[in-house]
Amino acid sequence: MIQKKICMLGSFAVGKTSLVRRFVENMFSDKYMTTIGVKIEKKVIDLKAQSLTLVIWDIAGENGFHQINGSYLRGMSGYILVADKTRTGTLDTAMNIHKTVVQAFRDVPFILLMNKMDLTGQWDIQESAIDKLSQDGWDVFRTSAKTGHNVEEAFVRLSQKMLEK
Amino acid sequence: MSDVAADNRGRESMHTSDELNSLRTLILAPEQNEIGELKERLDDPEIRAEELSRVIAEAIVLRAGRDRKLATALLPTIEEVIRDSVKRDPKFLADTIFPIIGPAIRRSIAESLRAMVQSMSDTLEHTFSWRGIQWRIESFRTGKSFAEIVMLHTLVYRMEQLFLIHKETGLVLQHVAAESIDLKDADMVSAMLTAIQDFVNDSFSAKEDSSLQNLNMGELTIWIEQGPRTILASVIRGNPPPELRTILKELIENIEFEYNSALDGFRGDAAPFETCRPDLLYCLTQAQKTDSRANKAVVAPARIREKKQKTGKENVVLFIYIAAALCIAIIIIGFVLSIQ
Repeated sequence: MIQKKICMLGSFAVGKTSLVRRFVENMFSDKYMTTIGVKIEKKVIDLKAQSLTLVIWDIAGENGFHQINGSYLRGMSGYILVADKTRTGTLDTAMNIHKTVVQAFRDVPFILLMNKMDLTGQWDIQESAIDKLSQDGWDVFRTSAKTGHNVEEAFVRLSQKMLEK
Repeated sequence: MSDVAADNRGRESMHTSDELNSLRTLILAPEQNEIGELKERLDDPEIRAEELSRVIAEAIVLRAGRDRKLATALLPTIEEVIRDSVKRDPKFLADTIFPIIGPAIRRSIAESLRAMVQSMSDTLEHTFSWRGIQWRIESFRTGKSFAEIVMLHTLVYRMEQLFLIHKETGLVLQHVAAESIDLKDADMVSAMLTAIQDFVNDSFSAKEDSSLQNLNMGELTIWIEQGPRTILASVIRGNPPPELRTILKELIENIEFEYNSALDGFRGDAAPFETCRPDLLYCLTQAQKTDSRANKAVVAPARIREKKQKTGKENVVLFIYIAAALCIAIIIIGFVLSIQ
């Protein structure tokens, strides 16, 4: 069975952990996130004739006090950028993280999740900004960790991209 | 006039060149001969084989004494040769090993009997002693089997789990565990161990060549051995002897050497590392106090010891209880009959 390490990246409180919780069954306690800034989850998915074990590193989000620990990204086969549809700044953070990752690791497969799509009345990020990224070749998924909308599809898409590489 | 002068200069030049050649031959002839001989020796395979044959035995002895890399390198070839030999003529190998089969079987039976007698002796001691009764109560109270309680109290150390981890990704390459261990998901544990190590290195600005080597939690110790591309994390209960660390160091060195190309090209598929599983299982050792008064210890693969404890000891205990119950019943019946 093939194993792949993937990282969840994004600003604080964008819903990374909730998305992972929606996707996986078994989890370590959340307390690891506050102690060492990362929490590991695992999910086995079947892609056509191949089983793939995803080892998901859910990394604590960036805020004013806390920067992402670069060591945690070493050896990843792909990453998921998460932004909160109700906070414009989170998309900028995701794009900055992407720039940093590209500088350090070059061409690693990634996707962008526009999370909290269920909060329809509070949307802040313009659809035009998301469309622009799609036109630039980014794989963007509009997700909701609350309803589970598009979550599985997003992880499957990243898995396909990693296997194609 | 000018032609004559040029002709003279040419003759002088040739004369000088001849003299230089003669001088060179005179001075460098011995070295040139030596270089020629050396070149001939290097180019001629027969001479090279002849010279290598003079030192090959000493070289093998030297290298074999230094580390296990020679054995590891030769192993596939020797296995292939034995396989071919058996295919071609099985009788030859059977005849060759025939003289050792009998003694080997006898030794194995004697060892099994010795272990059984030891097991019965231990069980009797634990059953009828005050300590044995205390352990019975503890077993009843905690819900653990009596064998497990005995093992925990008489244990010097036990290697419970070994994780072979790919250093860069934190993905598990192989994981082995002793039986009856409460196992967590090996993939997640190995990734978490890698994360903890990264966290410690970054938090304390450790040098690149330094790394986390020990984690201690009550009775459990985690030893972390580092190779250039792999990590060997061993979970040990009790107090392991320092020699065990040397064994683990050698193991990770051998794995790095033997799986050099598989590690270089690792892209998430752990299948090539399946063949190192027997080596990891071999390290799942444990030592127990053979006698509580003396502190002698025996070392055996954990699986074998556990099976012996579970099957041997518990059957003997059951037998003793039934026998004791029968004796009491006979005494009571005899007492009742005598009164009547």
